[in-house]
Amino acid sequence: MNINKDFHHTNEQLNDELIIIEAAKLNPNHFAPLYEKYYKKIFNYVYQRIDCKDTSFDITSQIFLKALINLPKYQYKGVPFASWLYRIAYNEIMQEFKSKKDLQTINADISDLRYICEETNEPFFEEYLPIIKKLILELNQKDLEIIELRFFEKKGFKEIAEILEISEVNAKVRVYRIIEKLKKSISKIKV
Amino acid sequence: MSIKFNIDRPKISDQEINKNKNFNELVEQFKQHSLKKANADKSWWKNKIIRYSTIILGITVICSVSYLSLINNQKNKRQAISTNQSIKTKNKAFIQAPSQKITIPNTKYKVNNNKNTTILHTSNTKIKIPKNSFIDKNGKDIIGDVTIEYKEMLDIGDVILSGIPMHYDSLGHSFNFESAGMFNIKGHQNNEPVFIKQNKKIEIELCSKNNEDIFNQYYLDTISKKWNYLRKDIIIKNQLSHSIQNKNEIKLNEILSQSQKLNTLKKEITIEIPQKIDSVKLVCNKSIDKLPKGQNPYIPIKSSLDKPTFKIDGSFDEFPELMAFKNILFEVGAENKNYSKEIHEVTWSNLKIKQGTIKGKNYLLELSYRNKKEKLIVYPVLNESDYKIAQIQYENQLLTYQKLLDKRLADEQRLIKEMETKQKLYLAEIKKKEAAYNAEKLKLIERYNLENQNELANNFKSLSNVNRTTRLFQISQFGIYNSDCPHANSKGIEIKPIFILNETKKSLKPDYIYLINHDNKMVYGLNALEATKLNYEPNGNYSFCIFHKNILFICSKNAFNETIDKNNCQFILQSLPKMSENIIDFKKALEI
Repeated sequence: MNINKDFHHTNEQLNDELIIIEAAKLNPNHFAPLYEKYYKKIFNYVYQRIDCKDTSFDITSQIFLKALINLPKYQYKGVPFASWLYRIAYNEIMQEFKSKKDLQTINADISDLRYICEETNEPFFEEYLPIIKKLILELNQKDLEIIELRFFEKKGFKEIAEILEISEVNAKVRVYRIIEKLKKSISKIKV
Repeated sequence: MSIKFNIDRPKISDQEINKNKNFNELVEQFKQHSLKKANADKSWWKNKIIRYSTIILGITVICSVSYLSLINNQKNKRQAISTNQSIKTKNKAFIQAPSQKITIPNTKYKVNNNKNTTILHTSNTKIKIPKNSFIDKNGKDIIGDVTIEYKEMLDIGDVILSGIPMHYDSLGHSFNFESAGMFNIKGHQNNEPVFIKQNKKIEIELCSKNNEDIFNQYYLDTISKKWNYLRKDIIIKNQLSHSIQNKNEIKLNEILSQSQKLNTLKKEITIEIPQKIDSVKLVCNKSIDKLPKGQNPYIPIKSSLDKPTFKIDGSFDEFPELMAFKNILFEVGAENKNYSKEIHEVTWSNLKIKQGTIKGKNYLLELSYRNKKEKLIVYPVLNESDYKIAQIQYENQLLTYQKLLDKRLADEQRLIKEMETKQKLYLAEIKKKEAAYNAEKLKLIERYNLENQNELANNFKSLSNVNRTTRLFQISQFGIYNSDCPHANSKGIEIKPIFILNETKKSLKPDYIYLINHDNKMVYGLNALEATKLNYEPNGNYSFCIFHKNILFICSKNAFNETIDKNNCQFILQSLPKMSENIIDFKKALEI
């Protein structure tokens, strides 16, 4: 599986970002490059989980407003600024789901589901689709988020851990368990 | 809760996403939020307990400070008596330019207080002034134009000519500043000073010659006569070029994403054709699965006569290998230690055949009658006559099976070959489409480059400043600001310099002495009235700049080294010719 390169910054890129953040802490107008850089990514992250386009745009605006308000509290921890933004986005979406329960949607491409299947060392057949869907729908919220981040958005474990405020090992273990479950389900229908 | 599961939902176009972007609105919302928060924060003062406690605390603090300063004053008086010379020095103005002939001029800018203004200084420094930033001494908004006087000191020469002290004391330690750029900004209207309004900030993007990121920002408090630390320097060196680059990247990506042809090709290359390749494989696998598999016929085994057998009537649906032969017998295996002839004498009411210890070879025979139960491992065998018939039958079946197997293998090979041919065709199609994609992309990039030539030319000026570092200052009061790195004073070799004029060979009593450290681009202003002692690093690179009666004298790097090499303390000075009394020649003479 190819990991999304947006989250793998060089030290120079991280430093550039840090300079902009420091400037933006003093003057919100300096936040513009970060807004430009991450708007589309954050919107796609929201829209991935929500069925309504307009609601997704509203939530995205809310996320950036919260980011700007909380920017003075931002502390650099060696991961790109994006992770911090995604964490805000995750919390904002969860808040939204609490009030509007029918809002949540899972969106995946066939290729994403193929990636999941590949992880079980099984070739992908269309017959497996219902099992994969069923398994995903049965997951709890946090595990579902991990699967979405890992397989639908191709994020590295470090970023997943940072966004969900869990350890990197925990993120790996959770993915491993889900894949094992899927493996068992597939082997059942193969017999 | 049932969650909707969409597969391959259409994506939102970049154009639509960009349409919903609105940074100005975000900033506006942020400002409103900040205002609300500020109003909410004020409300604590309404609380009586907090209000009275704060007043009492304030009075206590004022009393303590007054008492302490009284004691300090008495101490200072005692010190003053013993150091007459230092009093003389202190009588000198805190900031005093050493030369009246060579000075850094103030640049004056007229700014309308009712408009947002950005001043571009000759050095490329930007001064951004938001509208309604200025008030007069009574706190009233200024109406009309304000004169901004600005000057900056970007190197050692500027620092010397400014007369601004570069000495810094912190926690009882003495330091000297290495400056990455300093500026003095003032504002007035009709010869009356103006002030920056509370909550308003003027941004100065100082175009510094130093690219290092080791500096802090300081403000010179001319009342307490010391530099005050403000914050770590904010460098926005590459932000401009970065943002231009980003902007260009975004624009290029926009153009690329808007191309229908490019999108179609990309979709075909990355999704559609790979899906076709997969489906070909899927179809092939299914076809192979559907091919008749046949069954390897079972080898008949002859009964060994010396071992007891059971004849069992009934059907063996579960075991097709047993169905293949007629009159099958079950021979009792040698491993059955529990076997006795009496077993044959019982009329067993119930009988079961199960899989044995070796699949397809032996079986578990379970016999029961009331409470009596027996388990035996048995082997299926045939008697002599049945065996012969079964053998012929087996050979015929084996022949048919082998034919079927050969045919299946051939069919499998054919299907795989067909699949590979199709996949090859698809891969060739991907290659063709990739070439078409790259050609189309190149065409669009060329078009984009042409369209942006003018814009790039406009950006060229900004990009040419990349070698210079932009340092962001946000100031809420006028005065002198500096981007500095404090260095501890040298503890190297100590000397008491004597200055000798080259022309007359007479000694000279300077008005101002500046020791220049060329290695870390620092200038030490030495006290000319005191019997001056100074320390230098033996391997350092130094020169002197002296002012005497408004005339500049230089002890060059070479002259300095010659004196040091001779273990001497007489430094030879050259005067700057009158013709060269300008900033450019002054800096040339300083060898910076």
